[in-house]
Amino acid sequence: MADYGKKLAELAAHDESRALAAADKLVKELKDRGELKQLSGILRSARKESARQRSLAPVVEVGRAEDADAALRAASAAGIDARKAVVNPTLIRGWRARARGMLVDRSGKRALVDLYRNVTR
Amino acid sequence: MESIIKKLEEEIAAFAPETKSEETGIVRATGDGIAEIDGLAGAVMTEMVLFDPSFDRSLEDALKDPEPVYGLVLNLEEDGTRAVVLGDSSKVYEGMLVRRMGRLLSIPVGDEMVGRVVNPLGEPVDGKGPIKGVKDTPIEREAYGVIDRAPVNVPLHTGIKAVDAMIPIGRGQRELIIGDRGTGKTAVAIDTILNQKSEPKESRPTCIYVAIGQKESKTAKLVAELAEKGAMEYTIVVTAPASSPAALQFLAPFAGAAIGEHFMNQGKDALVVYDDLSKQAVAYRQMSLLLRRPPGREAYPGDIFYLHSRLLERAAKLSKEKGGGSLTALPIIETQENDVSAYIPTNVISITDGQIFLESNLFNQGQRPAINVGISVSRVGSSAQTKAMKKVSGKIKLGLAQFRELEAFMQFSSDLDADTKRQIDDGRRMTEVLKQGRGEPLPFEMEAAVIFAATNGFFDSFPPERVNEIEKKLQDFLLREGRGELDAIKQSKEIREGTEESLKEKLARFVAANA
Repeated sequence: MADYGKKLAELAAHDESRALAAADKLVKELKDRGELKQLSGILRSARKESARQRSLAPVVEVGRAEDADAALRAASAAGIDARKAVVNPTLIRGWRARARGMLVDRSGKRALVDLYRNVTR
Repeated sequence: MESIIKKLEEEIAAFAPETKSEETGIVRATGDGIAEIDGLAGAVMTEMVLFDPSFDRSLEDALKDPEPVYGLVLNLEEDGTRAVVLGDSSKVYEGMLVRRMGRLLSIPVGDEMVGRVVNPLGEPVDGKGPIKGVKDTPIEREAYGVIDRAPVNVPLHTGIKAVDAMIPIGRGQRELIIGDRGTGKTAVAIDTILNQKSEPKESRPTCIYVAIGQKESKTAKLVAELAEKGAMEYTIVVTAPASSPAALQFLAPFAGAAIGEHFMNQGKDALVVYDDLSKQAVAYRQMSLLLRRPPGREAYPGDIFYLHSRLLERAAKLSKEKGGGSLTALPIIETQENDVSAYIPTNVISITDGQIFLESNLFNQGQRPAINVGISVSRVGSSAQTKAMKKVSGKIKLGLAQFRELEAFMQFSSDLDADTKRQIDDGRRMTEVLKQGRGEPLPFEMEAAVIFAATNGFFDSFPPERVNEIEKKLQDFLLREGRGELDAIKQSKEIREGTEESLKEKLARFVAANA
């Protein structure tokens, strides 16, 4: 049953309206069969898959707002396409992009942390 | 000053860090030292990962806590991975970035580790500073194959008369030490380490004592004892105390094996004591249950046998082509109520090349070491036994086994015939001769001389209850007046005719003087 939740979340990622329709049908089917108690397990699984998708979704972060366009272009060249860049001042300078478990980090913070670790090792 | 500030500002403005593309994951859930990770699709089993707290913190906060937390990938699943946290798991939080390290779990290993106390990750914990000259070595590796091995034919003397005479251990052998708690298992292992001091430096094995799930006070006491008796000069202690995470207790024996192999691969001999594998099995069971692997017998995972077999299979005597080094393993298993037929004991008994079984009844009767000769065996060690020891110890085991059978009749001793009575008395005398205190290992030549005296009837004129005292006097006597004979046995590793005659003559003198 947990697989239904995962599949619904996967479908929702591509086509939300189809996923909604499928969810309606699923609830009706469970009601007809008297198995509505399975719904909590399906919900748990859908939430888990949704969280997984969010954590693996494309994100581009920049240290300064003026770097956004260049960062989006550079990220796209590295294979990570995001709609917009988020400003994250902790990066200091540069940008970083993340999608589907891949990370491209060209931020000043990363370089400084690496430098610090190498020096103090 | 202004110019310096301006220059630094220019440097920062022109800063263009290099592109770093890497595979990462995000911690989905964490608890009990296990982290569920989304992503890391390309990770491989036993690969190291780094939990990176700097990712979502400011630079200042990231540098406040520079100690990295590592993890070990142990489950590869359809939608993520599960890893055990090697260190403080409270530092791992949901949403934390996890980086692949692209290498299997490795620890720094090198000659400089001798004399040090390290944790299973190879980090020093003795407060003596960093260890230099070390090289990262994977802690898991495939054991040497048949072609690379040579037969076990060099003895590893424990300094314990009962063991060296009846259950001899060879270099490259795996000999299990098994028994209930408080029966002297650790004492046998520690005495073996202490006894290596009597070996010549060039052939002395490097000893590695792996303490798994032990009280830190016990380990500290052992280290102090080893240091006091000069054994830390050739010993490394790997400690994963009871307070350490289950993952480290599971890894400790593998770390010990990796360190031992470092010396073996250089053509040297090494001895590794795993104290004890029952606790490692418990730690592995805990981890496996938390990783949601299906439980089997006694809730241990299905691969618990493989866990111990792949570890102990790494003990080897290498062929000349491979340098001729050896790694001897002395695993320890704790039994409950002397039950050797429980799951883990039977597994390890079947993997090893023999076992030294210590019994609580014998221990309580004052027999130290409390070895049950009947069910203790060494399957390969006899071919490594020296000629001297073979000559003197030939019939001891059989005689003692017969004595144990007759022991039940001892209470009716007044009704026994003379032959049976003599057999019982001989057995009691031999039992007394084989008694040995903790921390008193004997050099091999002294063991051979004492057992020679016992098997040739030189103790027969003394009542069994005096034998122990007489044996100690004999040792002093031989050190004073039998130096030549002892040296001859040590050098030739056998008791030649001339040596035998002069030894007999001196023993007769000793008996006459003490009668």
